[in-house]
Amino acid sequence: MSNDIMIVCEHKDKEFLPITKELFHCANLLAKHYKSKITLLMPTFVPLEIACPEYDLMVVDSPYLAEYTCEGWEQAALLGVEEVKPDIIIIAHSSTGYDYAPRLAAKLDGSCISSVSAIEIRDDKVFYRRSGLYGKLDLLYDAVKRPLVITVLPGAFPAYEPLGGEGICRNISADIKLKQTSKVEYSLLDIIDTELDYASVVVAAGRGIGKEENLDLIKDLASCFNRSAVAGSRIVCDKGWLPYSSQIGITGKKVSPPLYIACGISGSAQHIAGMKEAKMVVSINWDSEAAIHRYSDISVVEDLVKFIPEFIRKCEKT
Amino acid sequence: MRILVCIKQVPNQDAKYAINADNNGIIYDDNTAYWINMYDEHAIEAALQIKESIANSSIDILSIGPKRVESAIRRSLEMGADYGYRLVYEGEVTLSPSIKSQMIAEFCEGREYDLIITGVMSEDMMSGQVGPMLAARLDIPSATAVMQFIINTENNSIWLERELDGGLRGSLELKLPVLITVQSGINRPRYPSFSNVMRAKKSEIIEVATSTHLHNLQYERLVDIPEPEVGRQGIKLTGSLSEKAQALWELLHGKSLI
Ligand SMILES: Cc1cc2nc3c(=O)[nH]c(=O)nc-3n(C[C@H](O)[C@H](O)[C@H](O)COP(=O)(O)OP(=O)(O)OC[C@H]3O[C@@H](n4cnc5c(N)ncnc54)[C@H](O)[C@@H]3O)c2cc1C
Repeated sequence: MSNDIMIVCEHKDKEFLPITKELFHCANLLAKHYKSKITLLMPTFVPLEIACPEYDLMVVDSPYLAEYTCEGWEQAALLGVEEVKPDIIIIAHSSTGYDYAPRLAAKLDGSCISSVSAIEIRDDKVFYRRSGLYGKLDLLYDAVKRPLVITVLPGAFPAYEPLGGEGICRNISADIKLKQTSKVEYSLLDIIDTELDYASVVVAAGRGIGKEENLDLIKDLASCFNRSAVAGSRIVCDKGWLPYSSQIGITGKKVSPPLYIACGISGSAQHIAGMKEAKMVVSINWDSEAAIHRYSDISVVEDLVKFIPEFIRKCEKT
Repeated sequence: MRILVCIKQVPNQDAKYAINADNNGIIYDDNTAYWINMYDEHAIEAALQIKESIANSSIDILSIGPKRVESAIRRSLEMGADYGYRLVYEGEVTLSPSIKSQMIAEFCEGREYDLIITGVMSEDMMSGQVGPMLAARLDIPSATAVMQFIINTENNSIWLERELDGGLRGSLELKLPVLITVQSGINRPRYPSFSNVMRAKKSEIIEVATSTHLHNLQYERLVDIPEPEVGRQGIKLTGSLSEKAQALWELLHGKSLI
């Protein structure tokens, strides 16, 4: 097995997206171990004028690759596989990556490991780490069957800026057809600035508050602090207990206040992505194994319905 | 419309578990409570809403697993689905999504579904692979993280909107048959009505054997369950409820946060 690597790159305005640069870092780790070759695959419409990097570069261009479609990118990736014959295919765990990567693995009848957070080398063998069991445990996988498709969790690896270099650049005009897909459109939701963006203390409610009425507890807790705001996990917003503009996470807001208090939040990777930059994190969650405790400076393992009133009483007394 | 909804039964989040001797399997306590994966509840609701708006629609529910998964299938029937199927797999080791998707693809053969719906991922394992893999195996288009859709029976297509990163939405039209994976927030799953509960009591859940050659295929293999990395080296407060509240107050006060 040559263990050659192919990275499917996401790019915008002739620049690699930050996540793509993180894929480079991940690929470098593997290539260093296997002494294997890295090829970048760029599905695109306009032939790109990207300076040849240190890696081989294969540009697949077609008018049908002007914007992302599952059908188009699957074909482009399959074309790349046919040319490059990689053993390992690296794709971002983004809303495009998780849309087509499992399909690609199925078409190639290979292994597939999604949201990989680390590469581990033990006894000269490569393993892939990801989070599982509601974020409570990590799972380590061996890719028995090749090719292997992995999707890499954004933020898991540092970005790597490729050097200019000797890579071989090829352009393939691909005969890509969209037989089943039409009317492709992209739009940006209105993201409004709210008090959340300026708050010093964010008190966030999760499904663990149990019922909508318990939001009062969260609001009362917030009023113990100056410049505070109430936020929620996605589930709380889905239930309609809080508006979507209060949602923290990968598909919500990213905040970095001096203090973040997570109440009844389990700490899924998607939520953590929105609050991990907070200066200080307090979690109130009665499950001592909940993932949120690993991202907290102070953990309170208690029933929030009992703890919060007790804490408020302490605040009122002093 | 012939609709298939693939659901997974997941253990309660705070279920007690142990790791097996080989360090490659999770064993749950016998009195663990199991539920329908949250995202799959949204998938069932989406199917029920189609059935209410398009005449002559029927909904099949499918789940892979041991006998216990029948309670999840039963619950789907109580919500209003028509037929329940359990693809028999008695092993407790989690199957690779590649194997599961092939089992379901085998089941789908000859059944001619117009639409297959699943949740965007399972809450416990969070792979999000079975749906798109199944679509690829069946050679039909798919879309993940769907937030909205409209079926057009006249031209046999579906218009849908996907949730993308960074507050983006992407919409597109696909020709049926199609597989979609739905994101939470697409709808509010209903509670079973009394009449459906009574009806579901009488319905039989059909057991379907799975090809044994599939059980033995090797794809990615779980080899270890290591401790997760710690994002922050924090402290756990100890003592009585009142002592913990006092300690928290003092720590925050000490940092001038309160
Ligand atoms: C593509 C995608 C994008 C997503 N984007 C986001 C996002 O932007 N933001 C987001 O938040 N999620 C997002 N999610 C959902 C995410 O995966 C989780 O499902 C969600 O974050 C869980 O919310 P939660 O922590 O409130 O609920 P749960 O996971 O249900 O956690 C509830 C916690 O409360 C604890 N608890 C229960 N009762 C009590 C009590 N009485 N006292 C103390 N503790 C208690 C429990 O122990 C548990 O840990 C996304 C998912 C997908 C698939």
